[in-house]
Amino acid sequence: MFTLVVGGAASGKSEYAEGLVLASPHRPRYYIATMEPFDEEGKARVEKHRRMRADKEFETVECYTGLVSVRLPERGTVLLECIGNLAANELYSPQGAGSWSGALSAIVDGVDALLAQCDNLVVVSNEVFTGGTDYADGTEDYLRLVAGVNRALAQRADRVCEVVCGLPRYYKGAAG
Amino acid sequence: MIFITGPLYSGKKAYACQLLSCSREELSTRAVWDVQELAAKSADLNVLADELARREVVVATEVGGGVVPVDREQRAAREAAGRLSVLLAQRAQRVVRVFCGLPMELK
Repeated sequence: MFTLVVGGAASGKSEYAEGLVLASPHRPRYYIATMEPFDEEGKARVEKHRRMRADKEFETVECYTGLVSVRLPERGTVLLECIGNLAANELYSPQGAGSWSGALSAIVDGVDALLAQCDNLVVVSNEVFTGGTDYADGTEDYLRLVAGVNRALAQRADRVCEVVCGLPRYYKGAAG
Repeated sequence: MIFITGPLYSGKKAYACQLLSCSREELSTRAVWDVQELAAKSADLNVLADELARREVVVATEVGGGVVPVDREQRAAREAAGRLSVLLAQRAQRVVRVFCGLPMELK
C-alpha cells in the first residue's frame, strides 16, 4: 500500500500520516527524516522529535539527499517526511542533484526504491501552489520540482489525500 | 463549457488534453488557459466570463491561497482572478479541480 498525504503548513498532515502508520500491521516502522539540522535549535528540535517517535516504536533513518541509496534492514512500514525538504536539499545542498531534472529523478527513483523494500509506504508532501504564479526563478524551480514529484507520486500511489484542518479528503482510493 | 481549475503546476492542461482527447498543440484551438491573468485587465468580469463561457474548455490557476499581497495592484488582481473563477464556475456545465494530476468533480 502506498499513500501520498499532501497538505498546507500546519494542516495536520503529519499527524494524519503518522496515524496511518500506527494503524498499519506491517512492522517495523521506519521514519525517514529529511530535515538537516543546521544549528543548536535545529538539533534540539530533531532530537525531541526522534524521542517522540521512539516512544511510538519508530526507527529513524536520516536521509537528506540521494534517497535511492537508503537500505532498510527489514520490510515493514515507512513514513517519508517530507518531499518539500528533500526537494530543497536536492536543489540547493552541495550533496544534492542540483538540476531540476536530476532532483526530480533522485526523489522519484528514491521513492520507487523504497516501494520495492517495504510493505506499506506513507509519503508526506506539501501544498504550496495556490499563493500566486509570479515567483522569482529560484522559487519557481522549487515549485515546479515539488509539483512534478507530487504528480509522479500521485500516479504511483494507491491512495492520495489532501489534509485540510486535520481532515483527509481523498482524490484517489479511500480512507480506512 | 467545462471549467478546469487547480493549484499551480497541478496538471490542469494535461487533464484538459485527456478530456478532449487532443494533443498539447491542438489544445490551443479548443481551450483557453491562464484566464486568471485576464481578470485584472477586465473592465467587466461578467462580460469576460460570458465570452470565455463560449469556449469548449476554460482553465484557471488558483491564486488566492497565499498571504494577501501588500501591493494594491496585486491585491486587486488576485481578487479579480478569484471572482472570475466563481463566475466561470456558475456558467460551466462541469467544473473539475485538478490536484497532483488527479481530477475531482466540483460540479
